[in-house]
Amino acid sequence: MTEKVKHSRLFLWFVQVLKVCGRELLLVFRDEGVVIFFLLLNAVYPVLYALIYNPEVVRDERVVVIDDNRTAMSRDLIRRMDATQEVAIVGYAANMEEAREAMHRKDCYGILHVPRDFAQSVTRGEQGHISLYCDMSVMMRYKAMFTALTNVTQAMGNERLAAKIEPLTSMGGSIIESRQVPVGNPAMGIASAVLLFILPLVLQQSMILGIAMLHGGSIERRRRNGGRDPMAIEAGPAATIIGKMMCHQIVYVLPVIYVLHYVPLMFGFPQYGDLLHIICLAVPFIIVVSLMGQTLQAVVNERESVFLLFVFSSVVFVFLTGASWPRFLMSKFWRAVGDCVPGVWMSNGYVRMQADGALLYQTAHEYWMLWLQVPVMFILAYLVERFVNRRRYRSWIAASEDNPNVLTRIDLAKNGVG
Amino acid sequence: MITKYIGRSFKRGCVQLVRRPMYFLLIVIMPILCCWFLMDLVKGGSVQRVPVGIVDLDNSILSRQVSRTLNGLQQVNIRHHYANYAEARDAVQRGEVLGFFLIPENLEEHALGGRQPVVSYYVNYAYYAPASMQYKGFKTMSLLANGAIVQTALRTVGLPNEVIAATLQPYQTHVHALNNPFTNYNFYLNSTFVPCFLSLFILLVTAFSLGLELKSGLSRQWLKTAGDSMFLALVGKLVPQTVLFTVVGWFIQWMMFSCYDFPLNCNPWNMLSAMFLLVVANQSIAVLFFCFVPNFRYGTMLCTLLGMVSFSFSGFSLPTESLYPWVQSLGWVMPIKYYFLIMVDQALNGIDLYYSRIYYAALIGFTILPMLLSWHLKKECLNPVYVP
Repeated sequence: MTEKVKHSRLFLWFVQVLKVCGRELLLVFRDEGVVIFFLLLNAVYPVLYALIYNPEVVRDERVVVIDDNRTAMSRDLIRRMDATQEVAIVGYAANMEEAREAMHRKDCYGILHVPRDFAQSVTRGEQGHISLYCDMSVMMRYKAMFTALTNVTQAMGNERLAAKIEPLTSMGGSIIESRQVPVGNPAMGIASAVLLFILPLVLQQSMILGIAMLHGGSIERRRRNGGRDPMAIEAGPAATIIGKMMCHQIVYVLPVIYVLHYVPLMFGFPQYGDLLHIICLAVPFIIVVSLMGQTLQAVVNERESVFLLFVFSSVVFVFLTGASWPRFLMSKFWRAVGDCVPGVWMSNGYVRMQADGALLYQTAHEYWMLWLQVPVMFILAYLVERFVNRRRYRSWIAASEDNPNVLTRIDLAKNGVG
Repeated sequence: MITKYIGRSFKRGCVQLVRRPMYFLLIVIMPILCCWFLMDLVKGGSVQRVPVGIVDLDNSILSRQVSRTLNGLQQVNIRHHYANYAEARDAVQRGEVLGFFLIPENLEEHALGGRQPVVSYYVNYAYYAPASMQYKGFKTMSLLANGAIVQTALRTVGLPNEVIAATLQPYQTHVHALNNPFTNYNFYLNSTFVPCFLSLFILLVTAFSLGLELKSGLSRQWLKTAGDSMFLALVGKLVPQTVLFTVVGWFIQWMMFSCYDFPLNCNPWNMLSAMFLLVVANQSIAVLFFCFVPNFRYGTMLCTLLGMVSFSFSGFSLPTESLYPWVQSLGWVMPIKYYFLIMVDQALNGIDLYYSRIYYAALIGFTILPMLLSWHLKKECLNPVYVP
């Protein structure tokens, strides 16, 4: 290498970036708390979540029957209800009072009422009425009971219709057959739907927590050492940010592949996505998240305050992705808030890849939005590093030159001493 | 003497609370903000007008009638007509629509000829809530299409309208969604998620404020202000937080039941007292965890983990009886589960207080737990070790 290159400013800057990256790697692996966030959290948390939601669907929801009709037809209806996946008939009640008592004691969550004239009305050629009363504490219970009743009465109705009109019109019971094809999530389970949204967010949150904890550690060292961090590398703000970002990229290679590829594999979630395409989408995502972490870290003053300041935001982010309440129904304001979060773009792109088999070009919108966030987040991180963090360090150094104990005294006062 | 100690430790607790703006942020601002976020997000109440597509390969009068009727349903909103299956699939993959209705070739001809054509609806279940709505809409549509044809056929043989209605749908179902007749998603989701959010904040703040004593090495002094009584020290430290959290909790309940009209079918005091008990129970369980693991990082981590996971294992989304037994039993460890059951019994269903007695008792029981183990915390406070 020529001397000219060796002393060029760009080369020196690049060396600084590498030094920052190396030091950050050292700090990451020396700090047990950060290793827990960066590696252990990613390894365990998705598995825990997947295990909780693994039953996927509601089976055998308890329903009590009040059969005032007691005919072959009403018994047929009740037997068919019991045979569905969703509902189990756990008993007969003599009247509504008794059934209500069972519901209050949580022995059942639904009451099926067959009125006295049920079979008679149907055979007379009128409509037979059936009532279902559902406990509304959990939506999935209601959905299960509702679906079971609709399917059973429709099947019975079709049989009856066929028997009646075939001699009249020479048509079968249903003229047009219909068929549902569940795409994306053939099991129609809740785990397969919600977990895919959560996985990218686990990566995002674990990284932000780890970065903030590293920063908290650095702040504590500065407080003890008169405003200087003995472990920090002297470098410009941009070199510091980019060096740290490189370190986070290196550390996250394995977690990204594990969380986005192997966790769905382990639990049999939809996995139609191409690994290469998923990784392509994850590259800008990890860059943005690292920059976002380096922006948000400014609010952290102790290592442990990361728990208070960032953990709850995970729930907010899960809702912003649209995993529970769809994004097309959110107000413009909340959609715009969601647009600022890299995890929201990543989750939506990732779900469409894994569940619907979309390729990178079909998630181009998400992909480019993530790349667009890179420069924006970089500018924010730069401004925070230069004008918030470094200004603060300088003021600490100046203050402790006058009085070496000033920083610890402030700390004590916050803890209620003096 | 004892009043002096109580006064001193209480004063210390208040001073700590006031000197860190972070506490104010996390006890007052953030819970209210998050609560508003959740309620405002879901204020629509129910999922409607899901964007879907239609593939009409028949292009007959009947098929056009089908797509017009489909668009008239409130559940779905036809965004696009696609020329073929491949185009529609691409649109689903791009996220333009969440499903599509496919009408096969020769629908009308086959239907009238009695050859039973098949219409298919493709529903993207990766988006869970809109998928159920789409299913409802598409299913209704296929029934209506069927009905229209049979109706015409029966009219030609001369049957009166009432008989036709009974023939088409011999069984009429009435589904009563008790106390939430419009299946309002906001009522369902936020009457559980918002208190769970508050519980998370309570766990975090309690764990943090205890851990800070150990970390700063001031725990011995903390005990001394309370006359070397762990109980008084905890009371002095946590009661100011209890007061703030309870007031915030009541404010949130006021928002729910008064501003957003959540169902409240019981004496309001039943819910107000449940909220107070929830706050105290959560503080107690955080103290208990800290007695088990008197270490800043691991104690806080345990509180965080259980606080986060209790959103899932308390049975708000997947009902308790569908969860694995070990997950169910974990749910009973957290106070939010009991609050949830009280909310269902009292506010939602308005049944006798008698049925909820055990849940109230359990919440009260939580407050006793940490007293049994406080000796362990005291031992640690006398020789604080900080592990970074």
